[in-house]
Amino acid sequence: MSLHAITGKRVGDTYYEVNHSSGLKIYIYPKENSHSTYAIFGTRYGSIDNQFRRSDEPNVQTVPEGIAHFLEHKLFESEDGDAFARYAKTGASANAYTSFDMTCYLFSCAEHVKESLEILLDFVQSPYFTEQTVQKEQGIIGQEIRMYDDDPQWRVMFNLLGALYHTHPVKVDIAGTVESISHITPELLYRCYHTFYDLHNMALCIAGNIEPEAVLKLVDQYCKPAEPFTVERVFAEEPRAIVKKKVTQALSVMTPLFQFGFKEEAGNDRRSVKELVCAELLLEIVASEASPLFRELQEAELINESSFQYEFFEGPGYASIIFAGESKNPDAVADRIIKEVNRLRKEGIPKEDFERAQKAVYGRNVAALNSTETIANCLISMFFSNRELFSYIDALAEVTLEEITACLKTHMLEEYAALSVIEPIAPMEDAK
Amino acid sequence: MTEIGQRIVCSGVDFQSIQDIRFKTMRISVNFMLPINRNDVSAYAVLPAMLCRASKQYPDYTKLSQRLSELYGASLKADVQKLGDTLLLSIWTVGLADKFTLYGESVSKELAELLCNIIFEPPFENGTFRQNDFRQEIRQTVEMIDSEFNDKRIYAKHRCEEIMCCNEPYGIPRFGSKDSVRKLQPDDLKEAWQRLITHARIRIMTLGNCNPDLVFHDFQQAFVKVGRSQTVTCATNVITEVAEIKEVSEPLEVAQSKLVMGFRTQIAAPQKEMSAVRLMTAMFGGTPHSKLFLNVREKLSLCYYCTARYNRHKGILLVESGVETKNIEAAKKEILHQLDEMRQGNFTDEEITSAKLSLCNNFRTASDYLGATESWYLTQIFMPDTQTPEQAAEEINQVTREEIIYAANQVTLDTVYRLVGTEEE
Repeated sequence: MSLHAITGKRVGDTYYEVNHSSGLKIYIYPKENSHSTYAIFGTRYGSIDNQFRRSDEPNVQTVPEGIAHFLEHKLFESEDGDAFARYAKTGASANAYTSFDMTCYLFSCAEHVKESLEILLDFVQSPYFTEQTVQKEQGIIGQEIRMYDDDPQWRVMFNLLGALYHTHPVKVDIAGTVESISHITPELLYRCYHTFYDLHNMALCIAGNIEPEAVLKLVDQYCKPAEPFTVERVFAEEPRAIVKKKVTQALSVMTPLFQFGFKEEAGNDRRSVKELVCAELLLEIVASEASPLFRELQEAELINESSFQYEFFEGPGYASIIFAGESKNPDAVADRIIKEVNRLRKEGIPKEDFERAQKAVYGRNVAALNSTETIANCLISMFFSNRELFSYIDALAEVTLEEITACLKTHMLEEYAALSVIEPIAPMEDAK
Repeated sequence: MTEIGQRIVCSGVDFQSIQDIRFKTMRISVNFMLPINRNDVSAYAVLPAMLCRASKQYPDYTKLSQRLSELYGASLKADVQKLGDTLLLSIWTVGLADKFTLYGESVSKELAELLCNIIFEPPFENGTFRQNDFRQEIRQTVEMIDSEFNDKRIYAKHRCEEIMCCNEPYGIPRFGSKDSVRKLQPDDLKEAWQRLITHARIRIMTLGNCNPDLVFHDFQQAFVKVGRSQTVTCATNVITEVAEIKEVSEPLEVAQSKLVMGFRTQIAAPQKEMSAVRLMTAMFGGTPHSKLFLNVREKLSLCYYCTARYNRHKGILLVESGVETKNIEAAKKEILHQLDEMRQGNFTDEEITSAKLSLCNNFRTASDYLGATESWYLTQIFMPDTQTPEQAAEEINQVTREEIIYAANQVTLDTVYRLVGTEEE
């Protein structure tokens, strides 16, 4: 099995890509002076995958909302104890997360790297679900869902996604609902497991103080050739138009929170590196703390520095540009964002603003490579979206103002915008 | 390789450098320490962010932000924390190491100068902070205090600490009250600023991929001009007696209730027994193989999180959990039962070994992150000796079963805070 070296000419680092005979994709990013090593074993399977078709079966199957996240919790248990108990013997700090389009199991450790990696490779490939353990988990995840019900940041985002998307499952809470998870059975978990946790659908990413050869030896031992079938994500057709312009919910908060989003074109393929870079830079130009928009919103006392943020939120079958923060008047914020975008379309982006933004975004992306945690997480999400880490950094250094201007023409169109607001429960509460 | 350097700038001001070229960034921080005092905490706490708004060279927020963007997206941030009964105010900057800039610029040199400028030469108008900057900062501080209420887990923890330490400086919120922030005037901040640079205990730190000499030189020059006076003394009172358990319940329209239990451990840094309390806390509720995780969450299925955290500066231990209202008492009972198990020594040698491995792993991993390394050394500022992560790990590994039991038996319940959700299921 050959190691394919990928070197970043600007950052001077090298990482390795391996196509393992089992079907597993492996990325290893050595950092020889690092004290710790960070490893992720993940699958292209997230909360949006509750309808799918296997290449070896004719029919589409639908499963309960929240099942990918439930499966993540349950995989930690096996017939002879749970994975945390095994990690306890190596000292590794272990965890897992489920996002919209992937499920990842991870650990970070400063010693006993090999033993920790063995545990990771083994437990993720050893499912064990029973009626009793599924029932117990319904109580724990039920409390996780209740915790998120009280989380205004979480609610304001899902309310926005509900206002933007008619059918796409990105609008559904990652953990599902107390009701939806009550339909989860051991059989359904096994079914999803054997569909999505096939090594052809998975990747292993490791950054830190480790030799590639040592990793490959362990993978040879723990990963056996998997069945070569593919899984197709099935989504109902999503109209281009949004659902509604505004959505409001009252929660126990002191100041209103908002998310203002533009629904963007999204096909079945993920956006290219170039398109992503353009969107990231465009947002930096439009709304960073150095921008005229930020200044205007701040002087009008409509936003604050600690909460205002923005992102290009993109995944399989969905893409949107989202501005978020706290504001006494979210409608006015939305209004000024629209006006500023229209102004920039008309007057053009000043060259110095573009150059400044480019340096800022470039610098932050290079700086992110300090962290083994960031590197491993980037490698896996980039693999699942068919992108490459260093070409992203190169594209940032090479992008042109013309490309950003073209991006501005097609993004952030007013007719596709929606506003989500979390208001205080009246009358206004006052904290102690 | 890591090189740790320590020098004196002037009376009450020292300089610590942790140079490490494997990082792609460098970090400089200036940290001010003062005793927490209800009368002036708000003025001090607002200051760091106020100073980060503008400088003489970059006289408004936009111009300063533009400069930071040009410096490859460097960050300039302010932070306010409590280190026991001491207020810790920090201003820090992180930038790209010079070797990674596209056109050969020196970001570290520029950032060191910028930091000196914003701290020592605020853009005053008529001898004080400018009205416009001042109004912005006060508004935003009030909004930040409000937003702490939005996260009920953090809010409940703060409430428990306030109630538990109501007669101690630690019980005062880090920004004081909303009212005291609103009552501030520009001159209050100016006075606080003057006292801060002349009287506070100060530590300057540089970390990562940069040459510390340059930074040291800039700050030495700046402090010569300031002229330091007597440095304040910072001390923390560790309460060892609990006269009566405080029980407070507050209703709120939320789905999930929060239970926070505050304990006195009677032991705080730099006492030698501190390592045993750290280890005991990890075994009790600090890891996913701890007693609280395995019993309150996994066995009884009562919650998603139930954790124990030890504040070694203040000598207190907090247990936090989010539960259904009807399960609050069941969770409380089980938490106390598990503490009792610790007190009676009902734990295996494997539990001790696991907690040791886990703590040592956390210590060693911290050195791969500049922010965590800064915090590692800065929080030891009042200790007689500075420990490296390796030395702290050694100390943890020497803790015995008897010392863990002893530590658990010092832990005394002080306060039970319940944030009671009134929303129906």
